[in-house]
This record gives sequence, structure tokens and C-alpha cells, in this order.
Amino acid sequence: MKKRVFACILAAAMLFCLAACGGGSTETTSPATDAPSTDTPASDSDVIKIGHIVHMTGSAVESGGYEKNGAELAVEEINAAGGVNGKQLVLVQEDGKSTNQGSVAAFQKLLEDDEIVAVIGPSPSTQFAAMIPTIDEAGIPVATGGTNYSLTHSDCPWVFRFRPHDGFSAQAMVRYAVDELGATKIAVLHGSDSFGVGGYDLVAQYLDELYGMEPILDQSFNNDEKDYTAVITNIKESGADCIISYMAMSPDVGMFATQRLQQGLDIPWIGSPSVTAVAGRELAGEALYGVYAVSDFHVDGNEKATAFAAAYEEKFGREPDFYSAWTYDAIYCFAEAFKNAADLEPESIREAILALEDFEGVEGTYNFDENGDGLDAYYIVVNNENNIEVVTKIEGNR
Amino acid sequence: MSGLAILGQNVFSGIAIGGVYALLALGIALIYRSTNVTNFAQGDITMLGAYALYILLEQLGLPYPIAFLLAIVVMGIFGWLFQRFVYYPLRNRSFLPVIIATIGAGILFQNVALVVFGSIPRKVNPVFASGGFTVGGVYFDLQYIVILVVTAALFVFQYLFFEHTSLGKKMQATAQDKTMAQLLGIPVALMIAFTFIYSTILGAIGGMLVAPIYFVTNRMGSTLGLKAFAACICGGFGDVRGALIGGIAIGLIEALGAAYIAPVYKDAFPFLLLLVFLLVRPQGIFGEKVSEKA
Repeated sequence: MKKRVFACILAAAMLFCLAACGGGSTETTSPATDAPSTDTPASDSDVIKIGHIVHMTGSAVESGGYEKNGAELAVEEINAAGGVNGKQLVLVQEDGKSTNQGSVAAFQKLLEDDEIVAVIGPSPSTQFAAMIPTIDEAGIPVATGGTNYSLTHSDCPWVFRFRPHDGFSAQAMVRYAVDELGATKIAVLHGSDSFGVGGYDLVAQYLDELYGMEPILDQSFNNDEKDYTAVITNIKESGADCIISYMAMSPDVGMFATQRLQQGLDIPWIGSPSVTAVAGRELAGEALYGVYAVSDFHVDGNEKATAFAAAYEEKFGREPDFYSAWTYDAIYCFAEAFKNAADLEPESIREAILALEDFEGVEGTYNFDENGDGLDAYYIVVNNENNIEVVTKIEGNR
Repeated sequence: MSGLAILGQNVFSGIAIGGVYALLALGIALIYRSTNVTNFAQGDITMLGAYALYILLEQLGLPYPIAFLLAIVVMGIFGWLFQRFVYYPLRNRSFLPVIIATIGAGILFQNVALVVFGSIPRKVNPVFASGGFTVGGVYFDLQYIVILVVTAALFVFQYLFFEHTSLGKKMQATAQDKTMAQLLGIPVALMIAFTFIYSTILGAIGGMLVAPIYFVTNRMGSTLGLKAFAACICGGFGDVRGALIGGIAIGLIEALGAAYIAPVYKDAFPFLLLLVFLLVRPQGIFGEKVSEKA
């Protein structure tokens, strides 16, 4: 009897696991040819296919959803307006599974389809970096939203970035801190991961290059830290008059924000974009009021952004964020390049993208340099009682 | 900020967090004493306790004392279910299958919590909304003080209960020698069930106490559980005083190590202490040099 009960529980647990796995794979096996308003095309030449690696399962599923929505919205709008040179755009989606090998496998699967002329990659920089050797071999244009500097500086001519890289965010933070906030003793708080350490290096580099200064404190911590007492006492002890932070995770932002005020550390703080993320703001509440951040997308940034935000909210029922903004821009830029290119060969598309001049997107104005970086400006935003407001826009030195 | 204030600040937070480790370690110690197995799901039970408080307090909007007591009742029932379905079916097997079952149960709890609550951290308000006060440059967070008071109260209760009540003595007897206890007419299975219920409640209270500080996520219990386990070994496995002293030592060493060496290695210090103990005094502070229980 006892054994039977236990066996039943085990069986139930296994069923549960199976059900969970099953749920994942049904999503992946429908690499949606669900470009909206695509009536079955008469012949293959009536469509232009764009591949999209979306994280539909795993830890990055939330940002993946935003990316998917942004791209789908752009395709829908372009097709409704008559498509590109009379051809409809079709989005072919593959699950990147939130992992490096999943992303590479998804890319390889997309390459099997000869009609795909360009691909949109996943946002996280590590996964995109893993794909670069394959991209180099395949030789087709791939868009990225990862901000790690090296993605467009690794001698692969096929990478196009639709967000400003971390070098520009470091410049923007340093300039605002020194020029506007009058900071002279800057403490850099950063995670011990590659994002945080890379961020520290860039801040130190630009502080030196632009002002001949160096950070007064290099304070790292591990992601998922719960008690910031030591970090806070170190910052106080250093006599810093401003904090620049590279924190990757929203709970960390929430916790540091709260504990810093409790322990009386009330100096200006400029953070990487996570400081404005909804999850962190919900956890920290008032503790984040008045905190500055860099941000590459803002709904009031330009007219296109405002219109995009309205269309996005109408279709998906919530505000867009930068994840949906850059995939939306990538589709529009690709479409414009397809229009201008002599043909749809990879080299022609690449040249057409590089030739784009002052192309207005929702993230900003695109001018691609030979590395494939389209943007160079960050907004400085401030949390005004939970509304994220633009203070200024700082363009970086390329 | 003066050097003394920095020291005071870090000692205070170290002792408070150490108190939570001590509560979890106590739960592990009690189960070990009565059943000779280690419950590796103790950390995840902490997480479930925090979610229980989150549901009752934040979602159902109950007042704090009622939510707290109700969460204890719910987790007590959960403790019984846990021993009934994880420990009891395997009670006559060697300790290894039981330990693996507790590890499996912990993984199951984490993933069920992920499915039910998602990956977004949940916020639980502290017991006192006012936050805290500053004396001599040291900020005293009221939630940390609550942790210290509750931990102290539970250890006193523990002492009185085990030394001065009939039920407590029966549970102790079971822990010391199951066969003898059985011969004396003590319902051993029932006593073990009580031990699991009590240990689960201890873990859950630990989770409820740290919930406002840590935010509630499905993974919050894993490092907590491991540090509590380290506290058990440093203090002397299965020893009540050892759990208390070990827990506070772990809390202190990580807080001071983070402050004076580097916050990046914060999680390494407790395990460094553990390694030192395993090399120098494997039986722990209060442990006796016994290789095998008769």
C-alpha cells in the first residue's frame, strides 16, 4: 500500500515533468510562418523571408516575448502598407531556448531555408557572441540587440547592432555625472559577471580619456546578493559623491536601492538600464525615486517611438520596452535595405544597410559605421515618482 | 562613517542573518538526531514558508500576526505531509535513499514554485513599516531585530519544551535511541512525525523572517539551506547549541569577510570556515568523537 502511494506520487511527478517538456516543444515545433496578413503567396518569389531567433523557452522567455512582438508588429505594418517592392515579408521564428547552443542550433536551422535573406538574433550578448563564428561562415546579415562592445568588433562583417553599445552608455553616464552633477569622486558599483566587469572597465576608460580622472572605488558584488551592508559601508568610507552602477538583475537593484537609503547613503546614482526596469521599480518603490539611468529607448524619445508605443499597446495590451523597440527597428531597416539593394544577395543587402543615412527608427537615428553599429546615443532618464522621464540625450564619440 | 560604526553595522547584520541560518540549522539538527538522515530540502522549505506568508499577507491582505500564525499552521501540515511521503516510505532503508529523496523533494518544490509564482521576485512587507533607527552611525533595521528576538525566543522555547515537557522528553528519547524508546511504549513514528513538523515550522519561520529582506523567489532557499548545513557541521552535527553558535558564526564571518576583504567572495567565506572545520575539527565545536552510532 505504502509503496503504491509512493509510486503514484512518482508517476504523477514524472507526468508533470513530461507535460512541462511537452508544452515547450509544441511551441518550438511551430516555427510560425504566422506573418499576419500573409495570404498564401502565389509563388515563392512573392515573399521575402527574415529569420528570427526568439527565446520562447528558458530564462530569457520574458524579453524574448517582447522581441517577438516588436518584430511581428513591424512585419504586419510593412505588409499592410504593400510590403517591400510588392513582396510580402515573412518572419520565420526559431526558439533559441535561452542558451548558447540553443541559439546556434536555431541559427543553423534557419540557414537550411535558402529563402531567408537576413536574420534577427537574440538579445543577450553571450548568446550572440556564441553565434558569431557560424554567422561569419554563413555570410548573411544578422541583427543584434546585445550591447557588449565586442559583438561588432570581432571582424565579422555581417553583424548589425540596433542598440548603442556599452561604450556609449559608459560615456553617457560619465559625462552626465561630471558635467551635470559635478561629481569628482565616482564610485563604480558593478556585478562580478562579464557585463559588470566590462562596464567598470569602460567607465574607468572614459573617465580617464574625457576628464583625466579615475574611479574612487571599484566595488563589485555577486549577482543575487541579499545584504549590501558591506558594499554600502565601503562606498560611504570612500567618500564618493556619485555612484555609477552596472547591475544586471532587477532584484539586486531593488535591494541595493532600499538598503542604501536605510543606511543613509544618499548620493546621486546613475545606473545601467536595469535601474528603470519595471520589476526593480516594483520591488524598490520610492527608494528609486530621483535615481538616474541610461536608456536607449523611451516612448517619448521621438515621434516614431510614441506612435510605435501606441500601436504596440493596442495590439499587445502593454507598453513596449527596448527589447521590442530594437527588433521593430531591425525589421524596418532590413525592409528599407531590401528596397534599396540591387538584389537580395547578402553582399548587396549589407551594402544597402551601410548606405542608410539618418534612418529614423523608434530607438533613434541610424547611421551604420563599418563595424555595423547603427546607434551612438543614450538618453539620461530619471525616475520621477515612478515615471521614467527623459532628462537629456548624450551622443557618444564613435 | 567611523571605523567602529562600520564594524558595528556589519556585526549587527551578520548576527541577524546568522540567526536565520541557526533556525534552519536547528531544523536540520533535530531531524538528524531523531532519524539519522539529513534533510536537504530544508532550504526549499524556507522558500515555501516565505511564499506562504506572501500569499496570506500580500495577496489575501490578512493582518501580520494572523498571516504569520496561519502560515505556521499551513507549513506544519506541510511538514507532516513531507515526512509522510518523503521520509516514511523509505524509513527502513539506509540513509542514502532518504537523503536523495529529500534532495529530489527540494528540486520539486523549487520547480513547482517556479510554475506557480513565476520567476519575478515577490515583495513582502516587513513586520514594522517604520523600517529602523540609527544609533551612533549604525543603522538598526527593525526586521533584523525581529529576526534576533524570534530566534532567541525559539531557542528558549526549544530548551523549555525538550527539557520540561513530557512530549519533548519523548521526542528526545526517540532521538537518542529509537529501539529503547519503542520498548518503553513511546510511539516512535508519531514522535518522528512531530520532529518533522517542528523542523518544517522552524525552516518556514526562517523564510518568513527573511522574506522582507531577501524578496521571495523560488531559488531563495538553496544558498540558505547550504549555509545552514555548513553551520550544522561547524557547530557539531545534530547539536542544538552547535546549530545556534554555528549559524551565528557563519553569518558573522560572511558579513565581516565581505566588509573587510571583498563582497565578491562573500559566499566563499562560510564554506572556507567549513573546510577549516572539516580539516581541523570534523566533529564540530560541540560534537563528540563518535565514528558510528551503535
